[in-house]
Amino acid sequence: MKKRGRGMACMWYPIGFTVLANPSAATVKVNTDGTATLLTGTVETGQGALTVLGQIAAETLGLSTDDVHVVSGDTDVTPMDTGAIASRTTYVTGNAIVKAAEKAREILFEAAAPLLNVKPNQLEARDKRIQVLGFPSSSIPISDVVQHSESVVGNPAIGSASYNPPTLAMDPETGQGKPFNTYVYATQIADVEVDDETGEVEILKIVAVHDCGTPINPMLVEGQIQGGISMGVGFALQEEILFEEGRQINPNLTNYIMPTSLDMPELEVGLVDNYDPTGPFGAKGAGEPTAVPTAAAIMNAIYDAVGVRITSLPATAERVMMAILEKQDSEKTAATG
Amino acid sequence: MVTRTTDIQTEEDQLIPSQESKAPSSQPLSVLGGNPVLYPLELPQSDTRTSTPAVGQRATRPDGRLHGLGQTQYIDDISFPHMLHAKILRSEYPHARIVNIDTSEAEKMPGVIATITGAEVPENTFGPTYQDQPVLAYPIARHLGDGVAAVAATTEQLATEALEKIKVEYEPLTPVFDPLEAIEDDSPKIHGESNIYTSKIIKKGDVEKALKDSPHVFHRQYKTQMVEHVPLEPQATIASWDGNGRVTIWSSLGRITLGREDISRTLAIPQSRIRLIGTIVGGNFGGKNEIRNEPIVALLSKKSRRPVKCVFTRDEEFTSSTIRHPFIMDYTTGVNDEGLILARKIRLVLDGGAYCSWTGTTIGKGSILAPGPYNIENVFVEAYAVYTNKTTTGAMRGFGAPQVCFAYESQMDEIAHKLGIDPLEIRLKNGFSENSLSPTSQTLQSVALKESLNQASDRFGWKEWKA
Repeated sequence: MKKRGRGMACMWYPIGFTVLANPSAATVKVNTDGTATLLTGTVETGQGALTVLGQIAAETLGLSTDDVHVVSGDTDVTPMDTGAIASRTTYVTGNAIVKAAEKAREILFEAAAPLLNVKPNQLEARDKRIQVLGFPSSSIPISDVVQHSESVVGNPAIGSASYNPPTLAMDPETGQGKPFNTYVYATQIADVEVDDETGEVEILKIVAVHDCGTPINPMLVEGQIQGGISMGVGFALQEEILFEEGRQINPNLTNYIMPTSLDMPELEVGLVDNYDPTGPFGAKGAGEPTAVPTAAAIMNAIYDAVGVRITSLPATAERVMMAILEKQDSEKTAATG
Repeated sequence: MVTRTTDIQTEEDQLIPSQESKAPSSQPLSVLGGNPVLYPLELPQSDTRTSTPAVGQRATRPDGRLHGLGQTQYIDDISFPHMLHAKILRSEYPHARIVNIDTSEAEKMPGVIATITGAEVPENTFGPTYQDQPVLAYPIARHLGDGVAAVAATTEQLATEALEKIKVEYEPLTPVFDPLEAIEDDSPKIHGESNIYTSKIIKKGDVEKALKDSPHVFHRQYKTQMVEHVPLEPQATIASWDGNGRVTIWSSLGRITLGREDISRTLAIPQSRIRLIGTIVGGNFGGKNEIRNEPIVALLSKKSRRPVKCVFTRDEEFTSSTIRHPFIMDYTTGVNDEGLILARKIRLVLDGGAYCSWTGTTIGKGSILAPGPYNIENVFVEAYAVYTNKTTTGAMRGFGAPQVCFAYESQMDEIAHKLGIDPLEIRLKNGFSENSLSPTSQTLQSVALKESLNQASDRFGWKEWKA
C-alpha cells in the first residue's frame, strides 16, 4: 500500500571560505559609448555567475545588463579571484565589482560635476545618465561624460578594486570566532509516497524557500534551487559509489543511479525578502545551500509516511523495505512477547 | 561545432524570421572553425537585459543562448594542428610501492610521441590545504585512481593501447578502507604516522553537565555515502608551449588564479610563463576546484613539442577526480519538556580517501554547521578526517553541510515526535533569529530562518495538511 508523508528540514549555510582569506579583484572599464567591460578572474561554471556579475557592475554604473560585457577566466587578462567555489561569487566577487565600478564612476562624477555645476558627491549614475541626486532633469548621458572625461579631462573611466570578507580566526581549542562574514538560511518541505510493500519512495512535491539576501537575478536563483534539489534527491534516494576492496564497482552512469527529469517532483520555489548590508546591493549567495536540506526533508517525510527512520543514506527501496520489515518484526515481537 | 544538414537548414529557415534567415542561406558567415552559421547573429532584445535598474531583473544569459545553439566551445570542442591525446595509466593496487616503471615498449609504438612518470614531475605534489597529492604517484600509490604514468599519442585509441605496454612493478602494501579502522593506532598508515590528518573542535558552554541535567536525551548515529558530482563535462585540459618557453593551458578548472599558482609550483616555472584559460565549465559542483591533469598534460606537451589534450573518461571522473566525504555522525542531544535544546554533543568522522584535497574546508564547515541553525548554549563538536585507500574526497556542493543537515534535522523530527511537538513548532522555538549567537559565538545578522520556515509552511499548507 502506498502511504503519504510530509517532512521538513531547515538549514543555515555560510558564504565564502572558513576563516581563510578568499579575496576577489575586479576591473571595470567604461567605454565612450556608455557601455562597459568587466574583467573578472572567476569562470562561468553553468550557474549564470557572469550574468549576475554583469548585473552588479551595470547597477553600480546606472547601466542595463546588456550594456556590460563580461570578460572572465584568463590569467593573462583577468585579475585575481579565489574562484567559483564556496557559494562566494555573488557576494565576494560581487563586492569587488561594486568597489571597482564605484571607482570608475567616481572619475565620471569628477568630470561631470563642473558641467552640472555641482560637487561630485552630489551626483548619481542612473538610467544611463549621470544626474544631480534626485534631479533627472539635470543630467548628462553617461556616454557624453565618458567622452568628456577621456578626451577633454584626459581621465579614462577605469576602476580596479578587491574585496575579502572580514573574519576572525577560530580559537584552536574551542573553535570560537567569526569564521564567516555572513550566512544564508532555507527550508524545504517534501511530500512523498512510500510503497510499504516494495520500499519505493516517490517524491510528489518539494516546496523550497531560500534566503539569498537580495536576489540579483531571481530567475537564476530559482534555477539554482531547482538544480540543487535534483542533487539533493539523488543524495537522498539513489546515488552511492559502491566499493569492493577499494575498487569502485559502479563508476558509470548505467550503475550509478542519478535522478532524471522523470524522478523530479513538482517544485515550488520561493525566496524570502531579505537584505544583507554587507553584500552587493544586499545579496549573499545561492549556490550550494540549495542542495543542503533536501535529503533531510525527504527522510523526515519517509518517517511520517511509514514510521521508519532511515539513518544511513541513500534511502534506496531496498533499505526502506528492510527498515519497514524490521519495524513489523519488532511490533510482532512486542505484541506476542 | 554546429553543422547542419540541408534538411535541418530548411526547417531552420521556417523557424526563424524570414528577414534574418536570408543572410545565412544566401551568404554564409563563418565563425570559429569555419562552419556556416544558420541562425541570427544577434542576441534577441529583451527588456530584462536592456532596462534599468539592472539588479532584480530576470536577465537572460548570453552564454545560455550559445549553449542552446551548440556554439559554446568546451575543451573537447577545441583542437589544434598536430595536437596529441593523452591517457593516464592508473594504479593496479589501492596501496603499493612502485618499484619500477618501464615505458620503453609503449614508446616504440608508432604514433606514441611521449610518455611521463611521476619521477619526471619537477615538484610532484599539490593540494589546496596540504600538498599531499602527487601529480603522478611515485613512489607510493595510495588508491586505485592514482595515475602512475601517462602517454601522449596521435590518437586517443593509440594512447589507450600504449598504456597496456607500460610495465609497472609494484610491491603491494596493506590497504585500509574503513575510516573507523583507519582511525585506530595499529592500522596501516597511508601518509606519515597517523591517518587522522585534520581535526576540529567547537566548544561552547558545558555540554556534559547540561546533558546530565536534561530531562530528555536523544542519541543516534547517522551515516552518509560517497557520491560523485557527475558534471556533464569531465575534467579536460589542453596545453601548448611557444618558442619563448611559455605555456598556454585551457582547463575546465573553476579557479584559475590559484590553479596557475599550483601549476607553476609543480612545473617549477614562473607564473608569468603560464597562461591559464578557464573555458566555460560544463558543471563543477566542487569537483573542478583544484588542478588535476594540467601538469601532466603540460609536461607531455613540452616533451612532445606539440599541443596535447586530455579529457577524462566517465570512469576517470568517478575514480580519479574527487568525490563527497562520507560522514559517520554521532548526535547526542538534551532537551527539556517543551522541546528546547539544552545541549548537543556531536562526533563526526569523515572518510577522507587517499588525499586531503578540500577536507580542510569540509571539516570546518561541517563542524561549525553541525549543531544546526538553533540557539544552543552548550555545544561540543569533535570532527576527525581520516585517510583511507579509496577515492579522494574533496569539495562537493555544501562542504559537509548536506551530511550534517541530514543528521541534525532527522534528530529534530525524532525529538519533536517523541515529545508530541509539531516539527514546525520545534524549529521555530529553537531556531536562530536576528542577533542569535552561532556555535562559534558569532552574532548572526540578516537571519531569515524563521521567515523561510513560515513561508515554506504556508506555501506547502503544512497546518492544513492531511495524509
